[in-house]
Amino acid sequence: AGMDNLEATDESSFSVDEVSNIIKESVEDVIGTAHYSHNKVGQWTSSVIEQCVNQLTRLGKPFKYIVTCLVMQKNGAGLNTASSCYWDSQTDGSCIIKWENKSMYVIVSVFGLAV
Amino acid sequence: MQDEPVATEQPQQQQQQQKEGEEVANTYVIRPNFESKFRPLLAKPVIHEVLVERLTDKAYDKEATSGLCKELTDEIKARLRANGFERYKFVVQVAIGEQRGQGVKMACRCLWDSDSDNYVQDIFMNDSLFCVAVAFGVFHY
Repeated sequence: AGMDNLEATDESSFSVDEVSNIIKESVEDVIGTAHYSHNKVGQWTSSVIEQCVNQLTRLGKPFKYIVTCLVMQKNGAGLNTASSCYWDSQTDGSCIIKWENKSMYVIVSVFGLAV
Repeated sequence: MQDEPVATEQPQQQQQQQKEGEEVANTYVIRPNFESKFRPLLAKPVIHEVLVERLTDKAYDKEATSGLCKELTDEIKARLRANGFERYKFVVQVAIGEQRGQGVKMACRCLWDSDSDNYVQDIFMNDSLFCVAVAFGVFHY
């Protein structure tokens, strides 16, 4: 049932493509090619999230948003994430982007819940 | 494969209790009252129990952990739904990572109605893995 929304350009459905671009831009902007630094991680996560939220607000859609960002240093260690949602699958959606550079992994997830 | 929230009645309201199959009347409730609010204090033990139950004595295993991760999210979501919190939509996120001395940082920010919506988190660590679980509860008007 969720696939029908891909065609609808309805104001009130979650647009995965738009959100995915917003996320990628924010991460590139804030982190780019920087090297992992313990002192800066806090700042990076805050900035990525803040930029995402600002851009999402600018979309002007009737949605509540939840944005999470996880930054992990590349060390050979493994990482798994999963999410489970109880919502209205016709109007709500999520977009999860995995990004990496030479020294770290970044996973940003945006959940949009219709008001 | 996602569940749909069902419009439910608030028994405290003056509307009559409707049987399933009949039309459900509007409750005109736009704010959760205190008892039905998503309170972190009530929800945290739920998550904590699930993590402790399923992860104590587990070691990080490449194949098994991804399945375990999904199971945890489903279990947490099922338990939160069973605990009441009518009219709430839930988003549960679980991250399990191997402990190898690397640095990790996880942050979140939400654009919502802070009067009715809230979140609860828990972290579990043992020698070989760490696990972060977050559950967000968003009121559906």
